[in-house]
Amino acid sequence: MACMNEDGQWIVLMGLLVAVGMFFLALIINQSALVGQTTAEGVLEFSKNDIRDLREAVFDYVNASTTLAPGQCADIQKDIVAISLERKNAVVSFSAGDPQHVSGRWLHPVKIHYNNGVTVYNETVYY
Amino acid sequence: MLSLDFLVGFTIFMLALIMVVSMVPGLLAGLESSGIDYDAVAYRTGVILVEDPGWPVYPPWEMNDPDHKDEIQRMGLAVSKETPNILLSAKVERFFEAGFFAPEDYRSKAIFGDIPYSYNFSLNISNPDGSYELNQTGDPLPPGYGYIRRVVKIKEPGVAEIGYDDDYNDTTLNPSIPPMFTVRLNFSQLLNQSVSAAYRIDPRTDPVTVNINMTGYLIDSNTGATLQNVTFWKMDPTRPNPRFTRIPFSYDTTDPDLYTLRIDGTQTPHSLKPDVPVNSNISLVLNPAATSLFTLDQNSILDIRFVFDDSPDQRTTLNGTYDYDDDILPVLSTGVLEVAIW
Amino acid sequence: MVNDAGQLYTMEGIAAGVIMLLTAYIVVSTTSVYTAGDTHIPDMQLEQLGSDVLAMMDTPDTNRGTSELVGFVKNGTRVMMGGNTLRDRFLAGCKMRSGDPDDNLRAQVYLSYRTTGGSVNTTPLSSPDPEFTGRENTVRVTRWVQLPTEKPPGIPIDMSNTRSKAVLVEVLLWRA
Repeated sequence: MACMNEDGQWIVLMGLLVAVGMFFLALIINQSALVGQTTAEGVLEFSKNDIRDLREAVFDYVNASTTLAPGQCADIQKDIVAISLERKNAVVSFSAGDPQHVSGRWLHPVKIHYNNGVTVYNETVYY
Repeated sequence: MLSLDFLVGFTIFMLALIMVVSMVPGLLAGLESSGIDYDAVAYRTGVILVEDPGWPVYPPWEMNDPDHKDEIQRMGLAVSKETPNILLSAKVERFFEAGFFAPEDYRSKAIFGDIPYSYNFSLNISNPDGSYELNQTGDPLPPGYGYIRRVVKIKEPGVAEIGYDDDYNDTTLNPSIPPMFTVRLNFSQLLNQSVSAAYRIDPRTDPVTVNINMTGYLIDSNTGATLQNVTFWKMDPTRPNPRFTRIPFSYDTTDPDLYTLRIDGTQTPHSLKPDVPVNSNISLVLNPAATSLFTLDQNSILDIRFVFDDSPDQRTTLNGTYDYDDDILPVLSTGVLEVAIW
Repeated sequence: MVNDAGQLYTMEGIAAGVIMLLTAYIVVSTTSVYTAGDTHIPDMQLEQLGSDVLAMMDTPDTNRGTSELVGFVKNGTRVMMGGNTLRDRFLAGCKMRSGDPDDNLRAQVYLSYRTTGGSVNTTPLSSPDPEFTGRENTVRVTRWVQLPTEKPPGIPIDMSNTRSKAVLVEVLLWRA
């Protein structure tokens, strides 16, 4: 075939060009399937609800710490840390400091740390 | 005779054709996947509506009238950003109000997409008495839409129902002093930050409703009493020499955007200087639009004073001060918000 | 002198190579099309719904009110207002729609706690669903609850009965 007759080479080139063009177009359209998938996975992976729930549990713990004996509080803290690790595969630690005067109210500085391997969340909040 | 070049070119063309044909399922998946994208957009819209109070926050976006709706950046329905899934009924009403928002507004202030998505929002509220209240906006659902469902609670505004109470029935009143009933809104108490925003009354965003039932306070129920005027007074206890000052306000013009005063359940609203006889009840709704004119902060005390005319002789014994507090808030009702996008 | 007669052979070879690669790629890529089932979207929707319902059950209806969820957990596996009622209320919340209820949802409630020995134990709170095979595509939603000193009835004895504790309510939710 080579060196026999070179008149038809443009057919080869055009064929290639069209093929490559169509390939790219199809590739771009195919990508849109990924948009929805990555969003859903992003939502599932970012444990927003877990973190929100943990914050409320910590606030409950701070509320309880005003009425319960210190030993009982430490137990609640151990509960949350142990169950988080066992059931949610998340490393959690938190602590509440002595109340400070913040904008007219006495609030505990609460430090919360959460890490489930995908999402790391750190917060210091006055509660 | 076929030339070899033709054969090669034709082969490549056939390969390309085969490639395109084999891409058809992929192409269809691409079309199908816009449904997947719809789900993502529906999820995002759901989050914006349910977990965000919208922007601007103060004054809240729902207080904008149709002329100023361009100032609304984002339509969130949550009471505050600390209380996800708890919606404020005023925001809900404005969001679903027929004719207030155009489809373009929903797209640019709630859905936020480059594509002009079609949408259908619905919020089904189940009232404590077992009835359902369905709010809906948008087009009818086609097959294949993106969808998210969020379960929420709805905070309704409180209504102060003042019935007969010995504390307000002042029989020892000096007939020469006109009886005065005060509804006191202590902002430092109402806006107490240690109470969750879900259970707080903020008169700057919630309407203040006072219903007074005159039964028991009238000396002669046939003649009734005369409500002379209703005035607003404020005090800022943090100032030196705190005292109540009368708030300048257009007391003699009736403006349903600011307040509604009804006497004995009549349909026509009165101005705040009604000077009309009262036989059964007084109902006052003070809208946040009015309260925001009063320049109140979290330390202020707002008094709503109902003054009765007793000349020539005493006709009512209603006298005293009622504390408007968050105990009057009704229980949160459960609802389900559905967002469909296509 | 180098003859350039081989150039066309080279071009042909490259074209053939590219065509073969493209064909192979297309064959592989078209067989692994992402479908809605692969994209976890139903999971995401179900998880969000379940989290919402649990959070709303844990939200008191009035200030100083009590959480419905904590009330159910305190009753343990008791028939009235215990784990089964918790499951039924949870499902009622999940099924709510503006049209017909979304009836084919199922749930199972578990409780995780730290035992007196220090390990973590999970115990069913609602009675087992006879149709549950374990192969369902379930999502798990959870909520922290603080319990007073008394152990709820029907919970194994290794839960402490002498101190207040934080426990985790776990709900498995699936579409039948």
